[in-house]
Amino acid sequence: MLALKNWDINLRSSEKKTLWSFLLLYAFLALLILAFVAFLYYDLERNLMLQNQKESLSNLTNEQISRLKSLHVNFEKEQTYPRDERFNSAIYDSSLKQIFSTLHAKKVNLYEDIYLENGRIYFIKELESYYLGARYIVIEVPAPKRWDRKVYRKLLLYGGLIFGVLVVIGYFLLNLLLRPIRETIVLLDRFIKDTTHELNTPINAILSNIEMIELETLDSALAKKIKRMSIASKTISNLYDDLTYLVLSNHMGSHDESVDLKTLIEERIEYFALLLESKKITISTDLQENITLIIDRKKMAKLIDNILSNAIKYNTLQGSIYFSLSPEGIVIQDSGRGIEENQIHQVFERYTRFDRSVGGFGIGLNIVWTIAKEYSLHVKINSQANQGTCVKISW
Amino acid sequence: MRENFMVKHILFLLVIGSICCAKQNVYEQNCLSCHKELAVKIDKFFYRYLLKYSSEVEVKKAMIAYLKNPKKDTSILQDGLIQRFGIKKRTTLTDEKLKESIDIYWDTYTVFGRLK
Repeated sequence: MLALKNWDINLRSSEKKTLWSFLLLYAFLALLILAFVAFLYYDLERNLMLQNQKESLSNLTNEQISRLKSLHVNFEKEQTYPRDERFNSAIYDSSLKQIFSTLHAKKVNLYEDIYLENGRIYFIKELESYYLGARYIVIEVPAPKRWDRKVYRKLLLYGGLIFGVLVVIGYFLLNLLLRPIRETIVLLDRFIKDTTHELNTPINAILSNIEMIELETLDSALAKKIKRMSIASKTISNLYDDLTYLVLSNHMGSHDESVDLKTLIEERIEYFALLLESKKITISTDLQENITLIIDRKKMAKLIDNILSNAIKYNTLQGSIYFSLSPEGIVIQDSGRGIEENQIHQVFERYTRFDRSVGGFGIGLNIVWTIAKEYSLHVKINSQANQGTCVKISW
Repeated sequence: MRENFMVKHILFLLVIGSICCAKQNVYEQNCLSCHKELAVKIDKFFYRYLLKYSSEVEVKKAMIAYLKNPKKDTSILQDGLIQRFGIKKRTTLTDEKLKESIDIYWDTYTVFGRLK
């Protein structure tokens, strides 16, 4: 875990997408279960409240039945339906037809015993003798005020607590899910780190020895071979630099200074001259004078090297590269094989490679992105398959 | 002239007679006419049926069944009243007339629309 943090490992977008999907699904399921439990609890509390009301409602119903009985006996003399300010009531015959009603509700569920609707309690009782033909009597009373406040408070409190616990469990689950991905990345990074250490000394030995050879004193065939060796060594050296940067970037301090970009670019083009020559790539430049940036020289060189190296590596034989420097930024355009449009958004991801016919680890543009991010530079890549790639660095 | 007067007179009496007869419906003619004479008024029977059978369909069904085949077991009268007045005779009305009478009886005493 610590190593992951130190090495600033970024998850790929597809992995992030999977993790988000997992998180969303987990949260949805957790909420669904909580909602179900909350519904059951609310239902239980509501039934409890209704049961508590039942006895008093039954007494009120008996009172009303007595009045109905009296009305039934004297119906030819008196036809006024008995009313009570404590409740509303209605009577229904055996075919569930309403005989009379003072209820607020237009429809009543006569199959229920007692229920709550729109803040009112409905109590239904079947009569033993059908006074006025009434088989069912319904009593309507307002539900006790704020009976559900306590229930909602409890639901929010316990629901929040349980959701919190589920979030913590989700976090551990997520870590379990991530472990294999992280382990793979750690393994790869460790391998690169170990390899890097072993590369350093031999590369330096080869390069310094090649530089000591005076090419003029050699015959052309041998000089050609030495040049090839020099190219190969520089390629390895470049790769070594990239890997070192990748592994140790977090521990490397920045020594920002005013860097003359034209000089630096020319230096880097000169560095790749042999490589350009070997692929017969023509490079044209349009570099304006006196453009400086306050930046770590080594990091800027690394940024240019990586873009230039890609432009050479993925270029066609006898292709071309156009390099321009203006006060707005740098543009490097190549005539290479380009990148598919749907893959452009992935180019900055570490270990992403679209063309395995040439060497590399897929870390070059990731390094470009990291450096650009550090110095707030904007990197834009336009590319078309088989047309070439244009990288713009603006500031 | 005198014959003409007689014909007019007879016609007038016939019209008056038919109007008088038409005023009494099948319920009044066949049910109310006898029940009027009884100590227990006809509405009491209605409310006893209502008390036992509740809905219009059930009440009418029970009344028709009883009138077609009156029995002590199916009567809604209390035992004391049955002993005093006995069981009525089987109806001689056709099903149609019987149904019509019961419908009028229901409409006369129904509680639907009368409660305030």
